[in-house]
Amino acid sequence: MSKLKVAVFKFSSCDGCQLQFLNLEEELIHLIDLIDFALFYEARTYVEPGPYDLSFVEGSISTPHEVELIKKVRDESKVIVTVGACATSGGIQALRNWANVKEFQNYVYPRPEWIEVLKNAEPPSKYVNVDYEVRGCPASKEQLLSFILQFMRGKIPILPISPLCIECKLSGNLCVLVVNGTPCLGPVTMAGCGALCPSYGRGCYGCYGPSVDSRTLVLNRRFKEMELKPKEIQLLFKQFAGWSRKFREVIEEYE
Amino acid sequence: MSLTGLYIGHVNSLTLIFDQLKSLGYTVVGYRIIDKALRLDVLKTTEELARDVEDVQDPGKYSLIPGNFYRHGPDSPKKFLYPPKLLLFKVTPKWDVIINSEKYEGKLAFFGIKPCDLASIKVLDRVLTNVDELYTKVRERMAVVVENCTSSGNTCFCATMGTGPRARNSFDIAYTRLGSKLVIEAGSELGLRLINQLEVEPIDDNTYRDFEVTIRKAASRARANFEIDNLPELLELNIESKVYWEVIERCLGCSNCNMVCPTCFCFDVLDIPKIDGSAERVRVWDGCLNYTYAQVAGGHFRPDLWARYRHFVLHKFAYWIKQFGTFGCVGCGRCITWCPTGIDLRETVTKVLRGMAI
Repeated sequence: MSKLKVAVFKFSSCDGCQLQFLNLEEELIHLIDLIDFALFYEARTYVEPGPYDLSFVEGSISTPHEVELIKKVRDESKVIVTVGACATSGGIQALRNWANVKEFQNYVYPRPEWIEVLKNAEPPSKYVNVDYEVRGCPASKEQLLSFILQFMRGKIPILPISPLCIECKLSGNLCVLVVNGTPCLGPVTMAGCGALCPSYGRGCYGCYGPSVDSRTLVLNRRFKEMELKPKEIQLLFKQFAGWSRKFREVIEEYE
Repeated sequence: MSLTGLYIGHVNSLTLIFDQLKSLGYTVVGYRIIDKALRLDVLKTTEELARDVEDVQDPGKYSLIPGNFYRHGPDSPKKFLYPPKLLLFKVTPKWDVIINSEKYEGKLAFFGIKPCDLASIKVLDRVLTNVDELYTKVRERMAVVVENCTSSGNTCFCATMGTGPRARNSFDIAYTRLGSKLVIEAGSELGLRLINQLEVEPIDDNTYRDFEVTIRKAASRARANFEIDNLPELLELNIESKVYWEVIERCLGCSNCNMVCPTCFCFDVLDIPKIDGSAERVRVWDGCLNYTYAQVAGGHFRPDLWARYRHFVLHKFAYWIKQFGTFGCVGCGRCITWCPTGIDLRETVTKVLRGMAI
């Protein structure tokens, strides 16, 4: 079997998701026998030119330059997988989509006129066709590995898209919402992390973004019944995947 | 069925039964307090068994308070008879298939589970015996010590479903705690052997009356506002009911009801490739409220949530009868308690039936 030619691209992001490839540590040694990281700036300086069999894309598109770049990545890639909350829903930098970016620019930069920035930070899927998504903040290294292994063996890669509650119950966790009245986004959030936060008695904060058929407005109503303040509800949804359409429906009720 | 009729002893003898089961080589499973709930777990001693505690269950709410009778938590016997995750087989890089056979070992005894839990095993018997290998094997060598309910919870409706609060058959031992008195009966050879080890005597008139009244009182509270006579037919006749649409205004489609239901047996099969070139096939619980459950090659046969919720209700109360000759619901109320928005199955059924009358 010839090695898959893999690229890892970064856009507006913190690098945490691509770092997950390196966090694979033990598996990584075996993984490089199977695939070739032809472009992976965080891991190696050597770069092979495209086209690539499989391109992982981290980060959101927040500048005009990035719009051009993502189009080029699309042209050079057979398959694009967006990785992490930024690349799948805009991530935390998409929080600025509700704020005045000009104001930020003036505060932060000595020469704000040099900054070229789009009105909104958006996931790459806004500009190009994306084939697969691996969610999370950061993306789970187990899911990244699982994706590659499924893909390279010619299987349609399957990662869970159901609500987190199922994973939570399979793990034997106690429901933090029912028992403690802790506001939890699990019922509307996509599974895949292994119910990490509820396993530690915390509510899910939705970093995987909405599950398929996510019923965010129903959960919103439930939170109101629990007498959460409007601002509290909004901030629950306005986190890592706040710019996703389903989470936005709730957020915008309180804008 | 009772082989002995009712005997009376002291609650302390429960420890003897427990220890006997252990010495007979049973892995004993019962309710213990873990975190803030009663969980079904493997117990080493009776000390680990939950005591002096009561579960308060309401739609979408669960808590523990000091008390002397408890019912259950999110787990049910299916956790052990039909595990949430089960490795079916491994495929080696050379394509050898290694079936997971270690899963069939051991003898299992449930201790202190409630009549609704026992009823759920009887329902699963109809579905899984000689169909599911693990279930069939474990079930063959299983013992049940069931505790009759002397007080019912706010989400209980076993009396309506005819599964409780007193267990009538399919147990090895059934007991009822009345203060320090223990009313006990055996339902099998094993049960007889266990009871013979205890200091018991036939029940006296007063204790029997006390027992009767306690059970009847528990039963009067464990009721829904509907009767099961003709229930399957009535529900199917009103299959177009708008009630299902109304209820899903509160439904998250999260499948918690499926996960905690003691009789929901649906599953998904996952193929998990490993880095060394091997792969595993794993069975995991799935449920009809989950969107992907009805997603198949070529399409989706229940994309709308109201249809998925309706299927859940009708399967439990109508289709199950045709398929397996029993209701799929045992009235334990878990789906009501553990629903994050507190959707009440009893209310749904009642409303659908009321719609008929109009």
